[in-house]
Amino acid sequence: MSWKKAMKVMLVCLFAVVLFAWPAAAAERGFDDKEIRIAAWGPQTGPAAPWGAVARGSKLLFDIVNEEGGIHGRKVKFFVRDDQYNPAQTVAAVKELVERYGIFAFVGGVGTACCQSVYKILLDNKIIWISPCTGARTFWDPHNPYLWNIWPAYEDDASIMAKFAVEKRKYKKIAMLYNNDDFGLDALDSVKYRLSKYKMELVAALPVEPTERDLSSQIAKLKTSGAEAVIGFCAPTQAAIALRTSVSLGFKPQWIFTYNLSDYPLMNKITDGLWSKEGVISSAFFIPSFADHPLINKYRKAQEKLAPTERWGIFYQAGIVVGEPLLEAMKRAGKNLSTAAVKKELDNLTNFQGVGPKITWTATNHKAPRSVQIWQAGPNSENIVLQDWTENEISRH
Amino acid sequence: MDMKRAYYEDIELFKSGTILFWAIVLMVGLFTLPLFSTNYYLYLFNLIMVHVILAVGLNILVGSTGQISLGHAGFFAIGAYATVLLMTKLGIPFFPALILAAFIAAFFGFILGLPALRLEGPYLTIATLAFGLAIMHIIGHMEVFGGRSGLRAPDLNIGIAQLGWNLTLTTDLSKYYLILIITILMVLGAINILKTKVGRAFVAIRDSDIAAEVIGINLTIYKTLSFAVSAFYAGIAGGLFAFVLGFFDPITFNFFLSIYFLVMIVVGGLGSIMGSIAGAAFITYLMYALFKNISDIPYIGDFIVNISQRWLSITGIDNLSAIALGLVMVGIMIFEPMGFFGIWIRMKKYWKAWPF
Repeated sequence: MSWKKAMKVMLVCLFAVVLFAWPAAAAERGFDDKEIRIAAWGPQTGPAAPWGAVARGSKLLFDIVNEEGGIHGRKVKFFVRDDQYNPAQTVAAVKELVERYGIFAFVGGVGTACCQSVYKILLDNKIIWISPCTGARTFWDPHNPYLWNIWPAYEDDASIMAKFAVEKRKYKKIAMLYNNDDFGLDALDSVKYRLSKYKMELVAALPVEPTERDLSSQIAKLKTSGAEAVIGFCAPTQAAIALRTSVSLGFKPQWIFTYNLSDYPLMNKITDGLWSKEGVISSAFFIPSFADHPLINKYRKAQEKLAPTERWGIFYQAGIVVGEPLLEAMKRAGKNLSTAAVKKELDNLTNFQGVGPKITWTATNHKAPRSVQIWQAGPNSENIVLQDWTENEISRH
Repeated sequence: MDMKRAYYEDIELFKSGTILFWAIVLMVGLFTLPLFSTNYYLYLFNLIMVHVILAVGLNILVGSTGQISLGHAGFFAIGAYATVLLMTKLGIPFFPALILAAFIAAFFGFILGLPALRLEGPYLTIATLAFGLAIMHIIGHMEVFGGRSGLRAPDLNIGIAQLGWNLTLTTDLSKYYLILIITILMVLGAINILKTKVGRAFVAIRDSDIAAEVIGINLTIYKTLSFAVSAFYAGIAGGLFAFVLGFFDPITFNFFLSIYFLVMIVVGGLGSIMGSIAGAAFITYLMYALFKNISDIPYIGDFIVNISQRWLSITGIDNLSAIALGLVMVGIMIFEPMGFFGIWIRMKKYWKAWPF
């Protein structure tokens, strides 16, 4: 029976080795003399995968930086992790990155729930985080010293859309179609507030469940209300269904959607071109994706070279938008890099603009800009700017 | 295989000195594990243990009683929401809240067990599927549950605040020990259930419900009981999951989660407790850790990135883990339909007869 004993001893040894060999890397500061480690997460697989382009857009920006020689001699090592839009996976990815590699800063962050689930981890570790890709209130209220916002609050967005409809287009009958969650309800409240300033009321306000696929009853009610314009705060799928249904019911108001739907090529694809045909209007807070703008031209050229299989669009551009302020602050911080130095530069950023909105942050105010533009979809999915940057002058935050 | 000559041999927890020895080694290993691992691994282990509790419970229903469920994400959600809401809204201490939440889940399990009396196979699957989806939407629709924007779990205070005994667990490490102890208790409980009259009745129903009824097993009681027990396990798992994650919204408990739960027990081995544990650990590892950092491995990483960029889509590298997960599942179904438990049995047989 000696083989049995030998087996046992071997197994015990194996067990001990496995136990002791467990990788136990210590967290680092996030950079050394050669590299700076920056990371992003996003759904690269699964149903929400199209939004994962944000994380890859950020990667492009830092790839360009590396091509140009890095930041003060340091190259950027950029990590992209797939969380499949699942908060439990986001936590796993962020913990792994922070503990195993040591991350200097996170950029972007798709999914309100995913961002919420790692909010505390990033704050506790004092890791710089530039803008979750959402306008939800929780990310700037209360103030978080290590989180900077770029995505305009939904209430500012909605208010400016309503102002445009009343003042520029002189619509008398405005209705609203909104997601029945914080995103839509914040916007509804804000539109009502704005209209109350003109002594007006919504002629109809209809909720949409985020998973609803048949919107005919909502559209029929909107039609009977006789609305000239409908402000829409919903997800791309519902917007597409709403547009198709209203066209088939012969109801043709002016649709005005939130900035989340400003990727016109994508929206045209899922509405078979109705988006352009109906001349849908949306708000937006980027430099138009296909504008003849020096920075846009630079990034598009770099994308053709470094990431030729990517589609240039709003989501991809969003990744660049969240990376730009960090890059600028790291450049300004100089050779002596540290979280405190970069934080100081970010806190003092005034009227900084890349391909996103103009950003101004202070040490006590990391809120997003209150301005958005109004665009319309042209015949070939181009962005026609109807109204330049407009600030929500009656913002309540 | 193991010939049993007496009833007491069957209900023994440790059938031989060897098993006792290895069980002790395993316990020592589990309790000293945090000495060697970082928070990330502890988080992963916490998730694995939560899934183990759920898988063990699900296996009582699917593996031992033969009733299928695609709605366990619903019970999981009930456990998570009920625990957190009982704690935050009513101020109930953690342990009573967790157990109460599990009983609430068990009550829903009992309710869902009623149609199971009339439905079988695919029809029961559809009914449970509908339950899982409905729970997600009901929770999302009601403001008291935090609506669609979700809930933040409170501090995990395992003392009784009303009496001034406070013990707040904040780190992954302390949560690890809490969950480990609960997991061990739950697994022992499941082993015990299956060896009692109730467990034997479950197995009889699985093998043939008509025959079971003929020998005097009350189908109404035992089928609903099986659903309730299984849901109780899911409720406990959900309550712990809420604190592992710290934040959750209805979409967290989506339909795919139910499928993953089912995959865990099928891959592990239906009707086997050790199989559920192995399956839950394996699938959780595949979902959360496998290939997530493959591109950072020197040389091999670049090679694989190149392959995926050429042959897979632009999101390439991330597709790999999904593809691997699918291949592993298909492979296990083809080569070892009994799952890990089947592999284990064959290994045992092989070594028993070795070297002949």
